[in-house]
Amino acid sequence: MAKDSTAKPVYILGISCYYHDASAALLKDGVVVAAAEEERFTRKKHDTSFPLHAARYCLESQGIAITDVSYVGFYEKPFLKMERVLSQHLEMFPRSLKTFLSAVPSWISEKLRVPKAIRRKLGYKKGVLFVEHHVAHAASAFLVSPFSEAAIVTVDGVGEWTTTTYGVGRGNDLTLLKEIVFPHSIGLIYSTITAYLGFSVNNSEYKVMGLAPYGNMNPDTNEYYHKLRRVVDIKEDGSYRLDMSYFTYHYADRMPSGKLCALLGGPATKKGAEMTKRHQDIAAAVQLLTEEILTKILIHVRKETKQENIVLAGGVALNSVYNGKILRKTGFRRIWIQPNASDGGTSIGVASYIHHMLLGNKRGYVMRDAYLGPSFTTTEIKGFLDKRGIKYSEGFLDKRGIKYSEFKNEKEMIENTAKLIYGNAVVGWLQLGMEYGPRALGARSILANPCNPEAKELLNTKVKHREKFRPFAPAVCEDDALTYFDCDEPIPEPTDFMLMVYPVRKKWQKAIPSVTHVDGSGRLQTVRREQNPRYYDLIKAFGKLSGVPILINTSFNIRGEPIVCTPHDAYKCMMGTGIDYLVMDRFLVCREDNPKDMWDSEKYAED
Amino acid sequence: MSRGAALAFLKGCREGMHLFGQNIALIINTILLTAVYVLGVGMTSLIAKMAGRHFLETRMKKGEKESYWKDLNLGKKAVDEHYRQF
Repeated sequence: MAKDSTAKPVYILGISCYYHDASAALLKDGVVVAAAEEERFTRKKHDTSFPLHAARYCLESQGIAITDVSYVGFYEKPFLKMERVLSQHLEMFPRSLKTFLSAVPSWISEKLRVPKAIRRKLGYKKGVLFVEHHVAHAASAFLVSPFSEAAIVTVDGVGEWTTTTYGVGRGNDLTLLKEIVFPHSIGLIYSTITAYLGFSVNNSEYKVMGLAPYGNMNPDTNEYYHKLRRVVDIKEDGSYRLDMSYFTYHYADRMPSGKLCALLGGPATKKGAEMTKRHQDIAAAVQLLTEEILTKILIHVRKETKQENIVLAGGVALNSVYNGKILRKTGFRRIWIQPNASDGGTSIGVASYIHHMLLGNKRGYVMRDAYLGPSFTTTEIKGFLDKRGIKYSEGFLDKRGIKYSEFKNEKEMIENTAKLIYGNAVVGWLQLGMEYGPRALGARSILANPCNPEAKELLNTKVKHREKFRPFAPAVCEDDALTYFDCDEPIPEPTDFMLMVYPVRKKWQKAIPSVTHVDGSGRLQTVRREQNPRYYDLIKAFGKLSGVPILINTSFNIRGEPIVCTPHDAYKCMMGTGIDYLVMDRFLVCREDNPKDMWDSEKYAED
Repeated sequence: MSRGAALAFLKGCREGMHLFGQNIALIINTILLTAVYVLGVGMTSLIAKMAGRHFLETRMKKGEKESYWKDLNLGKKAVDEHYRQF
């Protein structure tokens, strides 16, 4: 039966905030029409504050007011979380005094006053719906996945009490069957080692993942793996328990205890210290331990649920190195992970949960791309460039002797941008809506030539100002991926969101040195034309010039800053770094052509 | 004193008072919260510990259990239950 076209659409706003990566998402009749993280607007990385800008963007994108929203949902149950926090203090008295003094004021002033904040900041007068944290994670993965049935596993640091769950989703229904509760947490083991290695917690876990392949990834010979194994009791069904004498996160603001430091052979590493072989082996050990636990969990879940499809959510689901091994190790046949699998993605989870589980609506939406953030029209970008007095378009003569003009059409824009990249220029690329989630996927990206052996060092030192060991990601058209990478077949859809690491085929490793990690792997992004035609065509055009249809794709930001959102952010980022050109819609801006706006971002690059 | 200098002086006074207020609030908060922590959390914690009650499972005895999974069975609930924060 045809839907009544006069019926008023049902809008649901999902909100997550006050821990890390605050975000808002808007559903219109079950379809995610807008979603964004607050950090992109406030320019504070991992901003925890109420997502006022993100929520406003969601409403404005649809031309609606808060009064048009039927339901607002929040991604966790604050009182349950408060119960856990109080339990920590009761158990750990008097050692938890410092964290009590630092944490309690924010609980009193904001975390226990969510409905009031929503009423005051958004003007929403109705009641707010609260969904358990891991249910929001599970919903954020299953309810927007392509599967009608799937096993669900959620793993993160901690929600209210839960740290790990598994369950089953069928149709528009999901049930979480089992859980592991705080303080036992895979996510927090990983974060503890992240802190031990001198990186920032809830931010730099991916650096540990990137460092691990430099270390000894053989569990038989990595001594630190055997040491960490003493800290955790792992059962055959994947359930686990930590010996908490090695940790302090349940009562202090630092994570490894003196006992863990002694076990690992020295005090916690100072921030910014050089990574030695020992650090690399410790990173490898925690990656091995995580993989061991997750493999056991997934094999158990496969056996218990008898499902062939698996969906994953929670911060640990961003471990792309392990994600690429799941299908080969666990017996599942298909996998789905949402592009914003961490807490930021729970705003979509809670909104989808309300639409499907509470209102009983059938599913009809699959999250095929992540371009859910603000986008800018040609007129808006031209308006910005004119207002700023930036030189662009007509008569611009590149120092390589190629004359450019304002791109007359898409074809010209793509061909010329491909030529610039082929000539080893670093190009900032702003097109479509901003990505939802931590990865730049061809809407707010820095693009470069992967065949250039110098590109990795150039990008790490002059553009991103980040550690030398960190690899860059290759972007490849989906139809070319199997030529260059040893992927699962068919290629899992999370690869589109840069969530799966696969080996680069040996034959091609030397051809694309800048995106081949030390262990011969690459965290590739596959691109389908229907998702982002300009980006897809650009990669193909570059392939025609270079013979290798792959681009380096790294997030359009400097270290310690969120990914750019607006043309202004993009221009500012380019002018402060070694990015040579900025392509926004059909406009090309050259850094050297605008010396008055140049600045040096290096001193601000800090996590 | 010129008008500009007077405005700058007033602005400085306002900022100084604001900072002073913040510091006083921090000191009072710290004193009050320490009292709550010692008297409320501390007393409860001591009594609970004497009674053998634990609020977190921090001890690990290998081989103690066959599995650490706990039943959850968290499925669909009535809408009203989701208006609660617990």
